[in-house]
Amino acid sequence: MAADITLLFKASVKTVKTRNKALGLIDSSIRDETGGAKRARPRDRDSFGGRAREVISNISKLKDFLLQHRKDYVNAGGSVMCSDVSRMTDSERDQIDQDAQIFMRTCADAIGQLRSDMGKQVVSAQVKNHRAAVLDLIEAYLKGVCKLYSEQRAVRVKRCVCVADKPVSDSNVDLWEDNRVEDDLSPEEIQMFEQENQRLVGEMNSLLDEVRHIEGKVVEISRLQEIFSEKVLQQETEIDSIHQLVVGATENVKEGNEDIREAIKNNAGFRVWILFFLVMCSFSLLFLDWYDG
Amino acid sequence: MAASVREKQTAALKRMLNFNAPPLKNTTAEPVWKLLIYDRFGQDIISPLLSVKELRDMGITLHLLLHSDRDPIPDVPAIYFVMPTEENIDRICQDLRNQLYESYYLNFISAISRSKLEDIASAALAANAVNLVTKVFDQYLNFITLEDDMFILCNQNKEHISYHAINKPDIMDTDMDGIMDTIVDSLFCFFVTLGAVPIIRCPRGNAAEMVAVKLDKKLRENLRDARNSLFTGDTMGTGQFSFQRPLFVLADRNLDLATPLHHTWTYQALIHDVLDFHLNRVSVEESQGSEASPAGARPKKKNKKSYDLTAADKFWQKHKGSPFPEVAEAVQEELDTYRAQEDEVKRLKSIMGLEGEDDGAISMLSDNTAKLTSAVSSLPELLEKKRLIDLHTNVATAVLDHIKSRKLDVYFEYEEKLMSKSTLDKSLLDIISDPDAGTAEDKMRLFLIYYITSQQPPSEADLEQYKRALVDAGCDLSPLNYIKQWKAFTKMAATPANYGSSGVKPMGLFSRVMNTGSQFVMEGVKNLVLKQHNLPVTRILDNLMEMKSNPETDDYRYFDPKMLRGSESSIPRNKNPFQEAIVFVVGGGNYIEYQNLVDYTKARQGKRVLYGCSELFNAAQFMKQLSQLGQK
Repeated sequence: MAADITLLFKASVKTVKTRNKALGLIDSSIRDETGGAKRARPRDRDSFGGRAREVISNISKLKDFLLQHRKDYVNAGGSVMCSDVSRMTDSERDQIDQDAQIFMRTCADAIGQLRSDMGKQVVSAQVKNHRAAVLDLIEAYLKGVCKLYSEQRAVRVKRCVCVADKPVSDSNVDLWEDNRVEDDLSPEEIQMFEQENQRLVGEMNSLLDEVRHIEGKVVEISRLQEIFSEKVLQQETEIDSIHQLVVGATENVKEGNEDIREAIKNNAGFRVWILFFLVMCSFSLLFLDWYDG
Repeated sequence: MAASVREKQTAALKRMLNFNAPPLKNTTAEPVWKLLIYDRFGQDIISPLLSVKELRDMGITLHLLLHSDRDPIPDVPAIYFVMPTEENIDRICQDLRNQLYESYYLNFISAISRSKLEDIASAALAANAVNLVTKVFDQYLNFITLEDDMFILCNQNKEHISYHAINKPDIMDTDMDGIMDTIVDSLFCFFVTLGAVPIIRCPRGNAAEMVAVKLDKKLRENLRDARNSLFTGDTMGTGQFSFQRPLFVLADRNLDLATPLHHTWTYQALIHDVLDFHLNRVSVEESQGSEASPAGARPKKKNKKSYDLTAADKFWQKHKGSPFPEVAEAVQEELDTYRAQEDEVKRLKSIMGLEGEDDGAISMLSDNTAKLTSAVSSLPELLEKKRLIDLHTNVATAVLDHIKSRKLDVYFEYEEKLMSKSTLDKSLLDIISDPDAGTAEDKMRLFLIYYITSQQPPSEADLEQYKRALVDAGCDLSPLNYIKQWKAFTKMAATPANYGSSGVKPMGLFSRVMNTGSQFVMEGVKNLVLKQHNLPVTRILDNLMEMKSNPETDDYRYFDPKMLRGSESSIPRNKNPFQEAIVFVVGGGNYIEYQNLVDYTKARQGKRVLYGCSELFNAAQFMKQLSQLGQK
């Protein structure tokens, strides 16, 4: 278990101060004690730290907003017993969805902006690494909050799909009762119209069902697609580097081929000269022999 | 002690990294970024426990060495985790003067003295930075935890407290005091982190006794000081459900010199013996390709790869104590399961292709999207599994190469027989003069074990013969001088340690089954089964824990820091067997003893044993120390 010796430290500071005073050293620190504290505060809002903190506070606001309305959002109006105040209409839910998406996009843009700004500034390597890591942390936080949002949405879509399965047979009875009023139409025609109506309603309902199903699937697929696109982007960088390597390798091989061709030519040329030399030597020998003899 | 020592130390580190406040459970909390500054001691303590990714998750953006060049990063808090030495304090004062960071959280690995604290205070005053030093803590974490139940004292200055330093003949009292103080300081930190006051038992007349006396004194002083006692309050609250105090057994390396030299057959001990392994990181040399290089080509480069063997690696946790052939089999099994899962995922591809042509496939589609989702979410796990399998395959192959080239299985078998005093089927001289069985070091080890375990020393003529054979094989004979002295000394003091009965029988049946499917072709390597036997340290622990009476341990001294008056008697007050024990070997330990203790604990339900040593060496390093001692 660790021991907190901060108080001991403060006591030592006091001891040293009194000792310094006793020794008569000039204490400019008394005057500047509060000044030191002020100086330590982050003074410029425009600095990297300030802006990063702003982004974080925005994301936190989004997170709080989502969590606050989460209960209402997810509660798909199932039971009659819940109070009307907490129910949300679908349009409100869509509004929340849209707002959240816009907000998330702006946050992602802000992070991207910070990153590009950081690239332009000239600072030491350590500060660069630090800032890159800070941006990674913020991105991870944003991702966490986005996950919250997409979970909520997936739950909502599933609920809607299940709810839509309940047959809409109640409406048939109403229609039947409403159509007792006879106008200028004969009973057969009315019956025919009613049957057609019912058929149309049935068709529409089944279409609606299918559309809801598809919507649910599409949401799932979009999530999967996100994952895939991430992986593909990762692979892209790797493929780029491999491409560079391959290009370098082809260059090297080409140069190698050239060198080999040179070498062969030199070899051949060299051989010609050797032959010539030998022939000349033998002719000179013959000549000398003829001259002597 | 419901939580293991590793968990406690990790929890302490995490708390420190969270600005000394308990960490919150909320996963989507706002990120707060900070810097971590450590010295080499701090690095050794943190690296087996927290990975870089975990540090990042806790908000540490940069982790830097104290004595490196650091640039000012003016709006970030910095957490320091250093030892309170002179140079570190000077560097901290320099940092304060240069105003590198926004606020400073100073954490000292062991307790800092008052005068050094005042040094920092004066530097802070001079730099007007007193308010920036937000918190100062003594962390009491001056030990390195390698496994859930194993710890060592330090890695950086281990020559300072090595076996050589403690046992060298020209040691001065001041040196010895210094060494003892270092050891006691670390042990004290260990007990503070553990949160328990143990009952100490140690043998008489050697370094272990000195350590025990000092530790007892230190614990006693701390308990008396009711205001600042570190053992009351929070420590007792967290998960402290056992009412019994643990037993702390101090042993000295001189008790048993054969075990560190022993050739071994279990996975973890083999890696430590044969490859470069420390602080849970193993470096394997890999040579590219095995085809003969054409004449005139540049030699193939060997690259070193290092792997971390962590607690998260399930295969490692399960098999680190298994004999090597079992490990080979297990790797093969894992590979097969992985391939089966991979095929599952690949099959999905074909299913998706088929269903795309079908109309009205909404119902089928739902099934497939579910399958796809599950496949995609299980992909990271599969990748991780593959990485681990690759890791273990590489490591095990490297170990196997060494075993084959040095015929370590032959040595192991022979030494087991020597240590259990059963009949030998080959004479020692044969093995020593065999040119392709092992390196010179292996032969020296074998001979030393023979020398240590023989009841009476071999005759002069025999000794000369052995010496000549050893010198022919290229060995250095200085360790032998030291062992002679040691043997003479211990003969006077006590009865020689016996290693218990053990048997080694080669397994003929299994080898055939294994060789057919296995990637590891273990032909020519015998499959030896380890039978359970107890090393001397384990036996001593057994006697003390179960309160058995045994001439070896009866005159061990007994210390109880909680008793009001220090008693010199060695009669234990407590008659019940202990449930928990901590074994500490002064002078160095190794994985073979650790494995033996783990096996002992497994055989008995409800007992927990922790193993610690002042340093961890493998046989090669120990031989070097012995030869240094022998040359004096």
